Amino acid sequence: MRCNARAEMAATNDNGSGLNGDRGPSRERTIIVAGQSSERTREVLRALSKFANVIWPTSLESALAQTSSQDAGCLVIADDLREEPIDEFLQEARELQRSLPIFVITDPDDVAEAVSAMRHGATAVIEIPPSYAALCEEVSRAMQ
Amino acid sequence: MKDLPQTVFVVDDDDAVRDSLRMLLKSAGVHAETCASAQDFFSIYDASQPGCLVLDVRMPGMSGLEMQHELNLRGLTMPVIFITGHGDIPMAVEAMQHGAFDFLQKPFRDQELLDRVQRALVRDTENRARLRHTDRIRERLASLSPREREVLDLVTQGKANKMVAGDLGVSQRTVEIHRAHVMQKMEAGSLAELVRMMMAVAPSP
Repeated sequence: MRCNARAEMAATNDNGSGLNGDRGPSRERTIIVAGQSSERTREVLRALSKFANVIWPTSLESALAQTSSQDAGCLVIADDLREEPIDEFLQEARELQRSLPIFVITDPDDVAEAVSAMRHGATAVIEIPPSYAALCEEVSRAMQ
Repeated sequence: MKDLPQTVFVVDDDDAVRDSLRMLLKSAGVHAETCASAQDFFSIYDASQPGCLVLDVRMPGMSGLEMQHELNLRGLTMPVIFITGHGDIPMAVEAMQHGAFDFLQKPFRDQELLDRVQRALVRDTENRARLRHTDRIRERLASLSPREREVLDLVTQGKANKMVAGDLGVSQRTVEIHRAHVMQKMEAGSLAELVRMMMAVAPSP
């Protein structure tokens, strides 16, 4: 499963720099995106590939399997998974990797969903459309 | 000593909200105290008082989030339920990241709040039981002599008596005697229990 997900890698980084520019290498760290995400969110996530490997596993199971890998830097739960049992998925991911930063991208103003995600183990919840700067800051801070 | 009854502290600058929440909680058989500000709360609150806190986010003076920060600084672990009519995701995330038990947007159904209050009271009972347990362990740890503490640290790292003796430069028999004292003072029935006790009082990573 891990090999399949690696083959699905959407973007990789060639310059070896960390998320914080020169502040440390994270080339080997992977940002796992669960869900395919909306186009605007996808653009922002793609931009993160300048700093780390960004992969889009094709299923939640595959995303979960990736969270167990040693190079997992963080997990991003994209905004097209609203119909999925996100809380269960979050809990499972959290049980697999207690310290893995997990970000949930959600509808603006859906405070109840954000609170539920936080209660089930999210590190932070980011509203759509996510800004590149905000996401980069959150991911960078979490992956340090 | 008889346990104090659980109290729900409602902190909100709106008189009408305080009164209606007090009535609601009273109707559900829950004892409530109301405060118009964070300062009022801190002037009456005693940390030995079990319960939970229903806290308005926006208040003049110290806001709800600032009050939560102050509670954390003072080491007060009472579960906090935020209520707000003007909540947004960053605010909710910040509150939850800093340990809020829940974050509820107005208007909410009475039962929604009562359910959350009940869960928060259960959480407080569990937290206090855990704290009592770790306090007892710390008291026992404080009763150990420096040498007994060294032996404890080494045996809970998995070292055999012979290795401990080597590390400390004493005889194996001396280690056995210290170890027996440690088990007795810590009221531990087994090494596994001793390890669990040490894990319970270890600082969080």
